[in-house]
Amino acid sequence: MKKQYLWFILLGLLLAGCELEQTPVSTTSKSAVFGSESGLKLYSNSFYGILPQGNTRQDAMSDYLAVKTVPTFVQENAFAPTLSSGWDWGDLRNINYFIVNNKDPRVPLSVRKHYTGIARFFRAYFYYDKVIRFGNVPWINKPLSVSDPELYGGRDNRTLVMDSVLADINYACENISVTNDNTRSLVTKWVAYAFKSRLCLFEGTFRKYHTELGLTSSANAWLNEAANAAKKVMDEGGYSLNTSGGPGKSYRQVFINPSPLGNEVLLASVMDLALNELHDANWYWTSGTYGDKASFIRTFINTYLKLDGTPFTNTPGYETMTFMEEVKDRDLRLKQTIRLGDYKRISGGVEIPAPPVFSYTFTGYQPIKWVLDDMYYDTRDLNINSIPLFRYAEVLLNYAEAKAELGTLTDADWAATVGQLRARGGITNGLTTKPTVIDLYLQSVYFPDISDPVILEIRRERGIELCLEGFRFPDILRWKRGELMNLEWNGFYVPQLVTPLDLNEDGIPDVAFYQGTKPSPAVSGVTYVDVSPTVGGKTNPQLLKNDTYGELTWMNNIKRKWEDKMYYYPIPQTDLITNPNLGQNPGW
Amino acid sequence: MKNVLMILLFLASTSVFAQRITVTGTVTDAGGNPLPGATVQVKGSTIGSLTDPEGKYSITVAGPEATLVFSFVGYNPREVQVLNQTVINMVLMENIKGLEEVVVVGYGTQKKLNLTAAVDQVTNETLENRPVPNVSQGLQGVLPNLNIKLLDGKPIQAPSFNIRGTTSIGQGGSALVLIDGVEGDPSLLNPNDIESVSMLKDAAAASIYGARGAFGVVLITTKNPTKGKTSITFTSNTANKRPVAVPNYVTDGYTWVRMFTEAFINGDGSFPQNINKTLKVSQAYLDEFKRRVESGEPYNTVEIDPVTGEYVYYGSTDFYAELYKKSLMAYDNNLSISGSGDKTNYLISGRYLRQDGLFRYNTDDYNMKNFRAKGSIEVFPWLTIDNNTDYSQMQYHNPMNVGEGSGIWRNIADEGHPNGTMFNPDGTLTMVSVYNVGDLWYGKNGIDTKKGIFKNTTGLTATFLDDKLRVKGDFTFLNTNNNYKRKRVQVPYSNKPGVIAYVGTTTNDITEERAETQYLATNIYAEYENTFNENHYLKFMLGYNYEQSTYQRLSAQRNGIIYEDADDLNLALGQSITTGGGWEKWLILGGFSRLNYSYKDRYLLEVNARYDGSSKFPSDQRFALFPSVSGGWRISKEAFWNVSPKIISNLKLRGSYGSLGNGNISSYIYQEQFGISQSSYILGGVRPQYTSRPSVLPDGLTWETSTTTDFGLDFSMLSDRLNFVGDYYIRNTTDMFTIGLTLPAVFGATPPKGNYADLKTKGWEISISWRDKFNVGSKPLNYDVRFTLADNKSTITRYNNPDKLLSDYYEGMVIGEIWGYTTEGFFIDQADVDSHAKQSPQMRASPTNLWFPGDIKLLDANNDGFVNIGTNRVSDPGDRKIIGNKSPRYTFGLNLGADWNNFFFSAFLMGVGKQQWYPSTESEIFWGQYNRPYNNIPVFHLGNMWTPDNTDAYFPRTMSRAASNATSRELGVPQTKYLQNVAYIKLRNIQLGYNLPQQVASKIHANAVQVYVSGEDLWTYSPLYKIVGRGHIDVENTGPSDQMFTSSNAGDGYNYPMLKSVSFGLSVTF
Repeated sequence: MKKQYLWFILLGLLLAGCELEQTPVSTTSKSAVFGSESGLKLYSNSFYGILPQGNTRQDAMSDYLAVKTVPTFVQENAFAPTLSSGWDWGDLRNINYFIVNNKDPRVPLSVRKHYTGIARFFRAYFYYDKVIRFGNVPWINKPLSVSDPELYGGRDNRTLVMDSVLADINYACENISVTNDNTRSLVTKWVAYAFKSRLCLFEGTFRKYHTELGLTSSANAWLNEAANAAKKVMDEGGYSLNTSGGPGKSYRQVFINPSPLGNEVLLASVMDLALNELHDANWYWTSGTYGDKASFIRTFINTYLKLDGTPFTNTPGYETMTFMEEVKDRDLRLKQTIRLGDYKRISGGVEIPAPPVFSYTFTGYQPIKWVLDDMYYDTRDLNINSIPLFRYAEVLLNYAEAKAELGTLTDADWAATVGQLRARGGITNGLTTKPTVIDLYLQSVYFPDISDPVILEIRRERGIELCLEGFRFPDILRWKRGELMNLEWNGFYVPQLVTPLDLNEDGIPDVAFYQGTKPSPAVSGVTYVDVSPTVGGKTNPQLLKNDTYGELTWMNNIKRKWEDKMYYYPIPQTDLITNPNLGQNPGW
Repeated sequence: MKNVLMILLFLASTSVFAQRITVTGTVTDAGGNPLPGATVQVKGSTIGSLTDPEGKYSITVAGPEATLVFSFVGYNPREVQVLNQTVINMVLMENIKGLEEVVVVGYGTQKKLNLTAAVDQVTNETLENRPVPNVSQGLQGVLPNLNIKLLDGKPIQAPSFNIRGTTSIGQGGSALVLIDGVEGDPSLLNPNDIESVSMLKDAAAASIYGARGAFGVVLITTKNPTKGKTSITFTSNTANKRPVAVPNYVTDGYTWVRMFTEAFINGDGSFPQNINKTLKVSQAYLDEFKRRVESGEPYNTVEIDPVTGEYVYYGSTDFYAELYKKSLMAYDNNLSISGSGDKTNYLISGRYLRQDGLFRYNTDDYNMKNFRAKGSIEVFPWLTIDNNTDYSQMQYHNPMNVGEGSGIWRNIADEGHPNGTMFNPDGTLTMVSVYNVGDLWYGKNGIDTKKGIFKNTTGLTATFLDDKLRVKGDFTFLNTNNNYKRKRVQVPYSNKPGVIAYVGTTTNDITEERAETQYLATNIYAEYENTFNENHYLKFMLGYNYEQSTYQRLSAQRNGIIYEDADDLNLALGQSITTGGGWEKWLILGGFSRLNYSYKDRYLLEVNARYDGSSKFPSDQRFALFPSVSGGWRISKEAFWNVSPKIISNLKLRGSYGSLGNGNISSYIYQEQFGISQSSYILGGVRPQYTSRPSVLPDGLTWETSTTTDFGLDFSMLSDRLNFVGDYYIRNTTDMFTIGLTLPAVFGATPPKGNYADLKTKGWEISISWRDKFNVGSKPLNYDVRFTLADNKSTITRYNNPDKLLSDYYEGMVIGEIWGYTTEGFFIDQADVDSHAKQSPQMRASPTNLWFPGDIKLLDANNDGFVNIGTNRVSDPGDRKIIGNKSPRYTFGLNLGADWNNFFFSAFLMGVGKQQWYPSTESEIFWGQYNRPYNNIPVFHLGNMWTPDNTDAYFPRTMSRAASNATSRELGVPQTKYLQNVAYIKLRNIQLGYNLPQQVASKIHANAVQVYVSGEDLWTYSPLYKIVGRGHIDVENTGPSDQMFTSSNAGDGYNYPMLKSVSFGLSVTF
């Protein structure tokens, strides 16, 4: 019997001795992360989500695209702080935590500085976004604790924030040690300089044109920074424009190549079928049922120069030219941007003509910049083309614009920047000397306050070269040209009802417009579009300007109205309630 | 089944009796009064007789060795062996019911009469003859305040158990469920193995389990071997099941398209060009469809557009009819063998349950296998060793859609347009169907889950000092395996003859996951029990408990399946490879003790204490002591109590108080962790791993504490025919571990948690039972009724929200409350719109932001000219007030039972007395096209939408997105008009059975044969049905979306329907 007792006691002691201390096994620790270069790299991989990965629709709200429904933001009396968003700060905490903790002496100083440089690049990127959206924002450079008074602080001045952003990007430029990444997916020194030129140009022009801020005197300093940063990339980065496909193809190659074209692209959102990293550009830009159905408006298409370098709108009778006529003899980037002429798609390995389709487009100017030719990619997220996030052409344009705004652009500068870009587009004149004549169409429709032909032409160039890459809305903001968002959504010219148009001139009619009852018998292969003032008792958004002829118009029944308050988004209502010290942006 | 009956009939006609003895006599009570209707039965058989009005009986037995059992309701049964007697007169003593009744409590049992804590128990009868797929589902509603919320009707649905309402808004916490003393998953248990289910409700009862028992304990005890000769029981149940509700949607293609375009124009702003992703639409199409309908031309056809060459659909498709079978079958067979010898006993049981899937294609087959072996050996007269082995395995196939990836119900809402069709004329799937039922028809995509446990408990019981000291010890190991396999291949469809496209091309992968939890537990405890000087009863228990659990997981996913029927990872060749690990280990150890003392069975006292340690807490908080005390006063035992036992036989007051720490937290949350995941971006040619900042750690944390005070009243009346048990309790959950004050977004992280909140839950539960009998046709009809009613209400008493923002919990908030506007009605005309308080910009009526007649008109309660949320504070809620509460109140159950002349009947009704529901904005089943224009239209919407001619309609003018919180529209905001009353009563089970007479049973050498029909969930009523009609929404199934694909709460009702069933069963005992 005693033996039994003993047994119990022994067992009890055995188990009581078990250690209750348990440490996680499937996660790692701070010391491991910050104590080695591989740990820093592991952490730095988390920053890249800030970049607009896999996104080809950033211009969905812009002056030059007509889309399925009018964006609420620009619709008259539609937007309010209750609908606002974007006041998210999680990414910043992740970056700040890294910067504050990257101090472990076990890692060589230069390595630590490199990774801190990467982190500060992303912090600058984060703040650049926030400032564009909200104007004044609080500057926070550490992971806040629960009791930090900064939590309930107000917003900092734009100058303080942007000076801090400049310090960040300067640190990144100086300390990021990697100058070349063949995959074009990692942030390098040149990416940092390119970004610096972008953000400094934004800030410089914003201060210059938003005179109400009272910061005009500091604009030139920013423009100088922009020009110098761009020049650094031009002089030392070793990049060049892609010209491998000749004038008719080189431009679009940059956007449809599976891997980023390394001579021109500094950083890209990289796609790879094998790694199951794909985007949905073909689906978005071709589906009649998915996405925004975005197409260019005619007013913008009119700004594409003729091949001889003269404005298209100087051509007499351009207003009543049909689509087939107007697209001829134009800057070769036009046919690399929208469907026209002999554009073909591939269906089951066979090339087929591909005129604009009115199950997709509302204006006739259907974008192809991001679209792969093979229709295989049209359903869902199948695109394998990498998306450039920073490319050399932008750097050239940043340089040219900064210099032009400073008034120091030379003929040589012009030739090295806009001249090169136009040459790639097949334009033959005006490539080596800066322009001296004002294009009245461009000036009157787009920039009535600008009288410098150089600035006007650079803005034209920026619109054309960088279209659909996410620059347009920020450009409009910094140029203080929000009114452009009110531009009528117009399409190509329709001479008369019923007669089918052969948009690609292949002998097969493509589209016809009618009112009331569909013409009978229908011509085979023709898409019939009803442009009656009302359909089913409701206003028809798709009309002809002069009822039975004229430019197509889309959704002009929904009024868009730009107001000055819209240069900044409102602080979302819930965030303002949580911290009333933030204050609301004026007008909201 | 037919064959069995044939054999029974055959045997019945060929039997012979031998050496029969007829016994007669009178049955009386202690006062010599005859007891009419008392049962006289031959032991071990169903041969029986009843006494006549004079208490006389006559029965024929097989021989002198037969034993007669005399029984009568309210009296203690007695047995006597016949031997050579032919006259046996019997006196039965009235039983004080419950004296014998024993309930299972922590580490032991206790006489019900001596209970001082709040404990309730049901026996296996509750689960008998019911075709429930698993035990968790069968226990719903059977015990008052044991709240089991089924999230949907899937057979694998294994909800957590809640006792007495909201536990903690911090760490949360369910009831601890112990199977034979060890934590277990009741959904993997064989219901036939269950002996009893006991619920420890208050801290006094649960504190013996320490931190894990903070919110009550459910003890499930399995059957023990029968005494005496070997018996074999075979039971079989065959059930026919069908959904309780199948949504009643408009299936006429034209009606649907017409209403779609109307809703779209009003809500999205223009004539639609398309119907979500899969169909094109135009005025011309609508006109043509209309022409076909009006000309009486048959439609439901697919044609080819001469221009585009694409298919054009004029369909009328009922996708739910394509999705579900009309009914399905389930088969449950169980065999158990039990017996005992001199020093050994054993029980072995096995069960196979198969439930066919509900889906017509790629169906969701379910099966479960259970095996149990239990036995003991008496090694010495003072030492018994026992062993209990349990092996169970559950398998389920869940089909899935690769098109969207979410549950099929959501996909039907998004793409199941009635004007589409399942197939094209050439037999290919349409783009409409490939996004929903078509994928199931293709039949290759799905998730297979396999869950299994292996459990073994070895124990010993030693007794000393004439059985006054007992020592028990046990050791358990339990392996739980959770395996998961998901396959997603692309599915072909066609929009154009001869052109095949695919959905799901980007996934095309196989995922396998293996997870295993290894669990060890050991208990050693000693119990001393004695009575001193006849009046002082004492029991003391002291024990030690240790448990450890180790969880490990391995998962792998790879794309590039080389052909669609490939089923193994080896045949996935893509470069997108994701692997994952996982690990968690926790340990607990505790010492516990309990003292029971009673004086003359009159004054009862119980003290419990547990000293508990848990590895989940930081070292300075690791150990804590949890004491509790309870007492009882049996007034009916007092000398001054002169009431006749025939009126009140037992009256007891109880009270308890105790405090427990909440150990229901995940491991390591006090430690800074850097998790590692795979990036979704390509960086440097690979998709690298990454880590990021850890969660913000709380500091100075301590245990959440739940303190329960309980008062109870038990009484028995009218010769114990009426029994009452009632409890009132207050449970304070303090120092709840909640996220801190909602911080400004610049904090950049979820605010760290802290011991910031307190919660008070008040509730009560009563249970009244009545049992009696009367004679029908000279045979007694025994019947019993049990009614239970429970309620609880939880209020936040402290929360870190000084401004009382309504976006968060706040002090004084009642859990579940719904803030909303008061609906005044609809705008009548433009003047009404113009003169009314502005509802913009808080909400919008349409994309144009213009309000029209037929739009919702909300009350400007604070007369400020605007209808809005104010500053969203309790002190300034704008025009809102509390309009309802979504917590269930007054849950009730009603059990009815009766038996007569070998027939037996039982019914079980349950329900909720008060509960409200504001349908979530994504709920197609309620909002139809008011949510998304391409949603299905519930039939109850027809004729129920405002038009100038129908201004009394229930819904406003037709408009998409009106019930959408994403765009702040008029129905997306809770308001009085659309608040639903979802109280309900449900006939959970009803059964009728018959015990075959012994003469018939014995022909197949059986001791007992029983046949029955049983119906589950056959009838429900809810006030909700007045609005939505019957059979459209199941009031019990308005829960969140299919949990297998999303954990979000969006979309009430997008889930597997509850099933009702009619089953036929048989039970044979040899």
